[in-house]
Amino acid sequence: MKKLLFLCSFIVLLPLALSACGADASSSQNQPITLRYAIWNQLQVPAMKQMAAAFEKTHPNITINVELTPFAQYFTKLQTAATGGSAPDVFWMNGPNFVTYASNGILMPFDDQITSKNVNLSDYPSSLVSLYTYNGKHYALPKDFDTIGLWYNKALFDAAGVKYPDATWDWNTLTQTAKKLTNPAKGVWGIAAPMVDQEGFYNTIPQNGGYVLSPDKKASGFADPASVEGLQFWTNLIQDKSSPTLAQMTDTPALSLFESGKVAMMYGGSWDALEFQQNDYTKNKVDVAVMPKGKTRATVIHGQGIAVYANTKYPTQAMEFADYLGSQAAADILGQTGTVIPAYNGTQTAWIKAYPQFHLQYFLDELAYAVPYPTSKNTPAWQDVQNKVLTQVWQGQLTPAAGGKEIATQMNQILSKEQ
Amino acid sequence: MDIAEKRKLTASSQKKSGKLRGIARKDLFWGYLMIAPLMLGLLIFYIWPVFQTFYFSFTSWGPFGNYQWTGLVNYQHLLSDPTLGQALRNTFIFTVLSVAGSMVVSLFVATLLNRKIRGLVVYRTIYFLPTVTMPAAIAIVWQWLYNGDYGLINYFLSLFSLHGPRWLTDPNIALYSITLIAIWGSIGNNMILFLAGLQSIPSVYYEAASLDGAGPAHKFFRVTLPLLSPTIFFVTVTSLISAFQVFDLIYLLFGTSDVVINSTQTVVYLFYKSAFVDNDKGYAAGIAMFLFVIILIVTIIQLQLQKRWVHYA
Amino acid sequence: MPKSLEITVQATRRSKLLGSVLTHAILIIGGIVFIVPFMWMILTSFKSLSESMLVPPVIFPAILHWSNYASALTTLPFVQFYENTVLMTIGRTVGQLVFCSLAAYAFARIEFPGRNLLFLLTLSVLMIPSYVFLLPQYMIMKNLGWLNSVQALIVPGLFSSFGTFLLRQYFMSLPLELDEAAKIDGANHLQIYWHVILPLVKPALIALAIFTILWSWNDLMWPLVVNSSSDKMTLSVGLATLQGEYFTNFPVLMAGAVLATWPMLLMFICLQRYFVEGIALTGSKG
Repeated sequence: MKKLLFLCSFIVLLPLALSACGADASSSQNQPITLRYAIWNQLQVPAMKQMAAAFEKTHPNITINVELTPFAQYFTKLQTAATGGSAPDVFWMNGPNFVTYASNGILMPFDDQITSKNVNLSDYPSSLVSLYTYNGKHYALPKDFDTIGLWYNKALFDAAGVKYPDATWDWNTLTQTAKKLTNPAKGVWGIAAPMVDQEGFYNTIPQNGGYVLSPDKKASGFADPASVEGLQFWTNLIQDKSSPTLAQMTDTPALSLFESGKVAMMYGGSWDALEFQQNDYTKNKVDVAVMPKGKTRATVIHGQGIAVYANTKYPTQAMEFADYLGSQAAADILGQTGTVIPAYNGTQTAWIKAYPQFHLQYFLDELAYAVPYPTSKNTPAWQDVQNKVLTQVWQGQLTPAAGGKEIATQMNQILSKEQ
Repeated sequence: MDIAEKRKLTASSQKKSGKLRGIARKDLFWGYLMIAPLMLGLLIFYIWPVFQTFYFSFTSWGPFGNYQWTGLVNYQHLLSDPTLGQALRNTFIFTVLSVAGSMVVSLFVATLLNRKIRGLVVYRTIYFLPTVTMPAAIAIVWQWLYNGDYGLINYFLSLFSLHGPRWLTDPNIALYSITLIAIWGSIGNNMILFLAGLQSIPSVYYEAASLDGAGPAHKFFRVTLPLLSPTIFFVTVTSLISAFQVFDLIYLLFGTSDVVINSTQTVVYLFYKSAFVDNDKGYAAGIAMFLFVIILIVTIIQLQLQKRWVHYA
Repeated sequence: MPKSLEITVQATRRSKLLGSVLTHAILIIGGIVFIVPFMWMILTSFKSLSESMLVPPVIFPAILHWSNYASALTTLPFVQFYENTVLMTIGRTVGQLVFCSLAAYAFARIEFPGRNLLFLLTLSVLMIPSYVFLLPQYMIMKNLGWLNSVQALIVPGLFSSFGTFLLRQYFMSLPLELDEAAKIDGANHLQIYWHVILPLVKPALIALAIFTILWSWNDLMWPLVVNSSSDKMTLSVGLATLQGEYFTNFPVLMAGAVLATWPMLLMFICLQRYFVEGIALTGSKG
């Protein structure tokens, strides 16, 4: 009898309890809330506001505040806010900082969104997806990407009677052409060979079959002979006097030299298209080609990601907004601005159309052999070592082999501390 | 005896008896009352964080908090860190040269601009300009002036068949190049302080000196300098303190490249790098404490020495 | 007049003229060094992007690109930035003038137990890099619920060791007889402070005002960290957002800098007239 009574009351009360839960969920869905969305690129503010407006239309109870912070201070501020427990709900992330944030539980994983089909990873280039994967989980949605190309000054090539770079070029062709284009009397060099990673040796190292960081992020690849040759590619150019010295390029950045017609070629990112378009010297004088082939083809790929704060007060809504930001609709809006290449597959044509005089398609072609930007838990620590040692290598104080070995030793120590 | 002498006697006898009465108690009350708002604010927002930093220098931090006590590890690291030794050397050279240079030039300029000469406002404004110019603009201009290949200074020298050095990319010179920028940038501030100090020297003294037949040099060294000494003391102490902490200049001009960083990085630059780039806030706290002790010692020495050369009225 | 006196007068006039010429010569030559970067900032604000990137550098723009100023004004909500910056600056300056002068008076002219220790404690704050205070002050603002507000911009800046030290030095340069005289008349310390001492240290107060105004106007890190939405941003943060990750439009940045700087110049021109020669100190009564 007692059991029956208990069972009856349970059956009666259960739906009540369930409906109460349901009522809570739906009423909290409709309470007006504000989400904070942090970005750092002032040029993209109109596009972000447009996306926010579009999202607010379909979610009338949500207001989006777009917060702009200058890039140089963005991560200092984000770190301070996260340490204090009040980071923005949705924010931009980049490669060098990603693992730090993901491994410390600051980012909310997207995997439920993937399983519930709100997000489909095959919509983005796989190299970007792996850039934002940590321990098998996905902590940011790719928003845009950039690859590296060989920008060149058509006027200087014409004056020297040399054919423009094309897909047949390999390292040798580049080195020879750089020599031909160097004209000390006029103060012109064939190419700029600065000590930079993303636009420089992070490409030539894999092009030669080397690697910067092992896939398991436990070992440095700098001591590998193939990697060392990837570094030597640049120091050879300086030794040939086809490139200014490091001291000269520190005084005057490669970009300034290129925009003044002092160097005929420079490796640069897809992001340079915007600046070269706005600069009336380069607007009609420069173009881009794919990077010359080493032993194989490779480009480093990097791009910003959309991340959600793990401790946000509104996880459901923040995730919804993030999903939207990673969607095709948002990518189309982004592409219209011409400021970056959207990551969503198939939305890149708007960007190419924004700069008709440049052969920007090459940047997209390079996706086929893209290598993710190398990152680990403490990227800044070993990148600092990398930069200090390579500065000496570029200045001829260390051979590339000795430098590579030194970097690998210190980098491995740093990586082992991360485990 | 008059009232003042009587009061002094009573006060001293009261102090001897060990009780605070009358004047002394009133002084205590007013003293603490008047410093209260400032000290309260400083305590909450500045002094407490200094104690916190001291505590954190004995801990090890993750990038987002999560610190644990590690004892003297940071200090051991400090003492064996070669970059810190270098940074200390760079900081000392920079501090001594920039403060000395700045004091001399600012005092000179302030003296010149303390008289009613024509165009006074224009001159004062011009010398004040570096102080209002945006740091990014200052960096860009000096990079252009100092540029080894296309810079104005080397172009100027080439007119005299002199080959100018690489001001900002030669490790032996870079530190001195920015010392010059620092002196240049500080003239405006120090000029204001000296002007204010020169203002508070009663003209009575100058008139008396003139009557005694003193020339301008004599007036400067016998009247101006002694009466300006509280201001000079202030400018010296604060200039030294802030020169020891130079960061922005180094970061703006050398932050993106390592070509001369070894010979130009300063202690606060290392602190910033440790705190925000290497994410080692415990070590950064240790560096801050280390610098604090050095500056404190230098300042205390100055506070002791002031009895010898600073004339308070 | 006698010949010898005439000669002396002429000699004095000549040496005064020489002194004057020399003075102006030095000031002008020095002035050139000081004005160059500022002129560069203005000239660059009128250049085209390509002109600003050329090496060897271009000094004068081919034509005046006023569009840079239009760009700066439309890209950023300048009016809002001005408002917030002005509020922050006035708040901090008034606060410091009041709090620091009260404390400086006490430190300089009242003997009370613990005075030297407290003053040393005040000074010690100056010996710590300012980045140390970023996180603790952020946490205080967060706990007060003041993140992203105008009061967060003002409050920590109301208290200054530098200001206290500065004023204390000037206070100490005034003769103690002034206080004694007032005390005999029955004044308490607050009245002495207000009626006797404060009017005599105008130059020092103006100096502190100039410093605090400048420091507040150009303060970057604190407003950047504590405030997030654009309606609570200040000028310096707004300018910094013009410096992109890969691309900075330097002429527009310089235009923004000029727009942000002219109030400071105006401020200085107005305030520096208080640095007028010759304060007749009628202090000692006999």
